[in-house]
Amino acid sequence: MINAFAQVDQLASAGRSVWHRASAIAKLSTAALLVALAVFAPGEAVLAALLVTAAALVLTARLPLRLALAAAGAPLAFAALFALAAWRGDPRSAFALLARPVIASLTALWLVGTTPYPDLFAPLSRLLPRALGDGLFLTYRAVFTLLDRVERMGRALRLRGGQAGPVRDRARRLGEAVGTVVLDGFERSQRLAQVMQLRGHSGRICGCRHWLDVRREDGWVAAVAAWTVLAAVFLPRVVRP
Amino acid sequence: MSHLHLPDGVLPPAVWIAGALLAAFALALSLVATRGESAQRLALRGALGGIMLAVMAIPVPITAFDYCMTLAGPVGVLLGAAGAFQVAFVVTLILALMGQGGFTVVGLNTLVLGAGAALARPLYVALVRRLAPAPSMALATAVSQLASSALWLAVLAVSVRLAPGASHDHEFAHAIAWLRGGTIAVVLLPLLALAIGIESLLGYGLAAFLARVRPDLLPQAPGEPAPLARGAKP
Repeated sequence: MINAFAQVDQLASAGRSVWHRASAIAKLSTAALLVALAVFAPGEAVLAALLVTAAALVLTARLPLRLALAAAGAPLAFAALFALAAWRGDPRSAFALLARPVIASLTALWLVGTTPYPDLFAPLSRLLPRALGDGLFLTYRAVFTLLDRVERMGRALRLRGGQAGPVRDRARRLGEAVGTVVLDGFERSQRLAQVMQLRGHSGRICGCRHWLDVRREDGWVAAVAAWTVLAAVFLPRVVRP
Repeated sequence: MSHLHLPDGVLPPAVWIAGALLAAFALALSLVATRGESAQRLALRGALGGIMLAVMAIPVPITAFDYCMTLAGPVGVLLGAAGAFQVAFVVTLILALMGQGGFTVVGLNTLVLGAGAALARPLYVALVRRLAPAPSMALATAVSQLASSALWLAVLAVSVRLAPGASHDHEFAHAIAWLRGGTIAVVLLPLLALAIGIESLLGYGLAAFLARVRPDLLPQAPGEPAPLARGAKP
């Protein structure tokens, strides 16, 4: 995941697909619909349709296959563990257990890979209490500078033999390295607090309002939403187990 | 991680809805506890949340697997229960947006990560009366990870029990027995123990470093004089 944040952020801002041009609110609503349908879908046919839809969304957004595979694979470990524990000799229920999280994960990747974070967080921060909404912006902003610091620290540790020796010594050295990053983060937070005060922070960081701009491309997003609803309603009647 | 982030669509709705409600209640309590805090505390929570995410991205090669740390214990010690729980929520939400853990289970994932983090500071403060900061942090981190892992296992066990068709089913009962006896004992427990050990050693190194260079960042035992911040005059 070390470069996933930076890669997704860059793709969200620099991508040129039809999904990138659609409004954040349309994509958020459709993603919520897809996840809800994936969680509550009544049959395997619907899940298969949703899985194909989510994969098509990721591919047509021109997101790298490696990222798509990583997103699809991330929830599989837990889902497989659960499917194994709940195995009752029915491959269809095992398919449902594995497909649901993969659909949700691919949908999340499509959403976050086509929507710049200020547009994505602005509506979320309006739903959340102020401290949490601001925390969302500040944490995401901090990740990039700190990831860079952590990467450099990791490289220095490797080059100086910090990852050699027993696990105990390696973990202790890693702790000291993380300590320097914590100090760096603390000092950055002090500077950021001063900047926020100078700029008259009133208790809420306001994201931009682009997320509300409805555009022509939202028609495609609406079409996807309509297709998923139709699939959820009609497929169980057409395809009987 | 010390636990896998729970994904969408696997757990029964009763479990994740209950988790969401519990997490919302805990978040409401934490918001009341941190009401009126300065912009600096808010920025510090953002920075430590960023560090948690950044540290989660470092793979630590142990065996055939790469282990990813959470830093929940040390962040809990540095921020206190309320702040750490809020950071756990924000980190979990960002991870869900990245496809690591589900949207419907943000509440449960927050509870799993946040419960351990929230325990860490009271434990550290109790321990640091008798021990040095580094072993206190290591023990607080170990207990914090243990609590998170136990909660994760409890969620898994309850979910398996509540899964459709769980009752009156011999095969299912067999599956649960297998899960308890086989998976947990042979696969999960050794990995969890290893994860707890690594996180604790990381906490040890972190506290040893902070105690040396910025002891004022570590919480003090009640009644102890607070160490001076760097650059402060006595």
